[in-house]
Amino acid sequence: MPAKQRIELPQGTLDLLILQALVLEPQHGWAISERVQQISSDVLRIQQGSLYPALHRLERRGWIKARWGISENNRRAKYYELTKSGRRQLEVEKDAWVKLTAAMAQVLGTA
Amino acid sequence: MLSDISLRLRSLLRHKRVEAELDDELRFHFDRQVEKLVRSGLTRDEAVRRARLFFGGMDQVKEECRDARGVLLMESLFQDIRYGFRMLRKKPAFTLVAVLTIALGVGANTAIFSIVNAVLLRHLPYHDPDRLVRISFNSPGVGLRDVPFSVPELEDLRTRSGVFEDVSTVGGGSVNLTGANQPERLEFIVSHPNYFSMLGATPQIGRLFGPEDTALGYAPVTVISDGLWRRSYGADPGVLGRVLRLDNDAYTIVGVLPPGFRHPGRDGSRDAELWTTAGFSADPAPKPLRSARIMPEAIGRLKPGLTLEQAQARLTAMAIEIRHDFPGDYSPRANWTIAIKPLQEYLVGDVRPMLLVLLGAVILIAFVVSLNIANLLLARASGRQQEMAVRLAMGAGRGRIIRQMLTESLLLSLIGGLAGIATAVGTLGFILHFVPSNIPRLSEVSVDWVVLTFALLISLLTGLLFGLAPALHSTRSNLSLQIREGARSSGYGAKTGRLRDALIVSELAFAVVLMVGAGLLLRTLRELLQENPGFNPTHVVTARVWLPVPNDPKVDPYLSIAHKTAFNRDLLRRMQALAGVELAGITSALPAKPATVQTNYDSNALTIEDRPMQSSENLRAEIIRISPDYFKVMQAPLLRGRFFTEGDEDGKQRVAIIDESTAHRYWTDRDPLGRRLRYGQDPTQPWMTVVGVIKDIKHDGLDVDGVPHIYVSIYQSGENELSVVLRTSLPAAVLEPQIRREIQSINPSLPVFNVSSMNDVIDASLASRRFLADLVGGFAGVALLLASIGIYGLLAYMTGQRFREIGLRMALGASRADILRPILAKGVVLAGIGIIAGVILSASAASMMASLLYGVRPHDPAVFLVVPLLLFAVAMLASYLPARRATKVDPLLALRQA
Repeated sequence: MPAKQRIELPQGTLDLLILQALVLEPQHGWAISERVQQISSDVLRIQQGSLYPALHRLERRGWIKARWGISENNRRAKYYELTKSGRRQLEVEKDAWVKLTAAMAQVLGTA
Repeated sequence: MLSDISLRLRSLLRHKRVEAELDDELRFHFDRQVEKLVRSGLTRDEAVRRARLFFGGMDQVKEECRDARGVLLMESLFQDIRYGFRMLRKKPAFTLVAVLTIALGVGANTAIFSIVNAVLLRHLPYHDPDRLVRISFNSPGVGLRDVPFSVPELEDLRTRSGVFEDVSTVGGGSVNLTGANQPERLEFIVSHPNYFSMLGATPQIGRLFGPEDTALGYAPVTVISDGLWRRSYGADPGVLGRVLRLDNDAYTIVGVLPPGFRHPGRDGSRDAELWTTAGFSADPAPKPLRSARIMPEAIGRLKPGLTLEQAQARLTAMAIEIRHDFPGDYSPRANWTIAIKPLQEYLVGDVRPMLLVLLGAVILIAFVVSLNIANLLLARASGRQQEMAVRLAMGAGRGRIIRQMLTESLLLSLIGGLAGIATAVGTLGFILHFVPSNIPRLSEVSVDWVVLTFALLISLLTGLLFGLAPALHSTRSNLSLQIREGARSSGYGAKTGRLRDALIVSELAFAVVLMVGAGLLLRTLRELLQENPGFNPTHVVTARVWLPVPNDPKVDPYLSIAHKTAFNRDLLRRMQALAGVELAGITSALPAKPATVQTNYDSNALTIEDRPMQSSENLRAEIIRISPDYFKVMQAPLLRGRFFTEGDEDGKQRVAIIDESTAHRYWTDRDPLGRRLRYGQDPTQPWMTVVGVIKDIKHDGLDVDGVPHIYVSIYQSGENELSVVLRTSLPAAVLEPQIRREIQSINPSLPVFNVSSMNDVIDASLASRRFLADLVGGFAGVALLLASIGIYGLLAYMTGQRFREIGLRMALGASRADILRPILAKGVVLAGIGIIAGVILSASAASMMASLLYGVRPHDPAVFLVVPLLLFAVAMLASYLPARRATKVDPLLALRQA
């Protein structure tokens, strides 16, 4: 289904995407991957194989925390939400990303 | 960080639950994915297939999640520990031997270090102890240290110097206590009223001294120790206000000190149980003279923020000012100075070398133990090479394998260490029994967290030391070779061999160091035991008596020389009459016993007739008062002249007997008989005529030489501190009740104490040397044993591995000597290198022990010859045994087994 060209996720952006996906409300893993895919209009797609290790890693760093809840289809699901330090981290990473892309754009634009 | 730890712990402790949750989480995702695909129009089967494909390997994802949570490190550690326990259980004999030797090493370290910690390292148990100093006055110009001082000089320290917050003089000595349970002989301290506040002590009940106790002389109040309170008053709180008698003077008890409080003094004063106080001066008494130097020592508290150097500089300057201001009181030659020393250093400085040597020895033992186990482990590791090779081939990381081997070793060392620590802690009270009581602060010895940390550190270090070699070695092997060759060839390879050789060599070297140390100390002890004390101590029983010296002359039954002489004669008559006593004598100071705190300093200065005054300042001798038969009881040989007689009494010509040292020092070129001398520089003192010369008696301990002594008749010069000496073949224990009964029938309030044989007195004076020599000797023995086990084990293992080769060579006609030679040669080379290294090491370290030796030089040729020979002989024996076994190999058997 080559509706649109998919882009491989650059190194280090997965954490940023997960944190951003959790900004509004707590989500379970599947919803996070769905949301990223939706919002990016199917350009970005997270490999399930790397999503869960990343979630566990972020939990260990204390940026997100997990709790069990009931999903929209009435099943037990593990929900992740941003912690305070997670929000701070999101701001930091966002800021860095914006700077990076702006600089990249500038370099590529003038070339 | 916190979330990290809690997550790890959760993963670890609630392992199953966490795994189940991970399962659920991934399953949920998978199901949703399938649902979504079904909704988009795929069949269920196809949807499942796609979802799986998309997901990748479920197990791999799980493993990555576990990794991400940081479970791996902890879990693998637990795995290693479980595995380690299994390995240890599989070889119970090895485990037992290893655990026992480690327990021995760590236990010995724990015990010795708990003593070192309490005596040398821990702060003194007083308020802000770093600012406490001991103040001493010296006259280096005439070679005198610790000269006493006067009240005006004390005032100078207090006010003029400006460096002290507080100063208290400290005196004291022994005193007869009556009015409590039964007559007792106790140590007491007399100090300024500010003594307790300076040390920061608080009473258990009642009060301590304060300004209200400032009195002309002694204040009639006393503070007692917790021990005396419990012993004599049954810990009765009503003790306050009770009156006790010290040398017949009445004192009211006003306070009891807490259990831990001890006087910061040396020798007997440490055991003080009574404190009295004195103002030393007060109106309306005339101001004490600057030259009335009666106070033995002082303790001070430096002002905060002042360094020792600054304070010392100020005091040195002040001493010069004072000498300048009062030229009449300070002779210019004496060069009088004031010195301060941290109180802690003053108290424990003497035993520091001994304790450090002990600590060094015990740490060396830990090394030897560790090397020995490393050797055992290495032998085992060779046997496990195949196991390791397989694990490496299966993809285990080298780091992982090293970690596992180290875990095993550390497990071993921790088990052994805990066993050792537990044993040491459990038996500490028992061990302290054997520690000579002249080591200060022994009552403070306990196992605190510093000791525990040290002990655990020692166990871990030994574990690391003996674990590292086999661990590193195990991963260095050639993979394919090991697997292919299998167990049979996993033997004494070149690399393992070199490592094991190195371990044995260092073990031997450490053993040499310990043995040389022990040899030097034992030789010192032997020298001292062979030292001629100047008399015959065998068949002599001694007992001590103290005639009270009350402050109030009205209650002093022994005030005059006539009273004292009557007592002494009565005492001698009664002792002489005891069944089994051949001859009785009295002396003011027993040999081999250092002088007590209470020494009359001025009496040690002398004036010798027909010598110019100026040079008489440094004429000093110890004065000992004796009864006429004393030298006969002691069998001390008279060189010239005569002994004292019953006629040498008060009112007759004053007489003195001198020893060889005095004769040599003061009458080098002349005959001392008939010459005259007198105490101090006071022209009103009577002259004493020298009537005899005896051989030197080792009065101040067997290790003290050449101190001049002068003996005077106890009938002419009274003395309150008396020792009875009896020549008898009866043991002290048999005579003790009779001696006590006789003395107390003269005066029931006189305590009789320290009844023992003269040999025991001499032995007690050597107690700490004996303790040190025995302990280091024991350690050296252990080291020798371990080192020989090491050599034996290595060579036995080597021959075991070459079983086949030896059999083959014998089948081919090799002689017994051909088989013996290479094995013995190996032993010789190892022992030789180890011994040479050890001798070099000892030679460079021996001079550190110089202060502990007597009659032996640190590089004593005998010790440095005997120790290597002994060790070499033992090493030879240890190598011969496995070599001989090799020659007994049955070639047929060996070849068939191959």
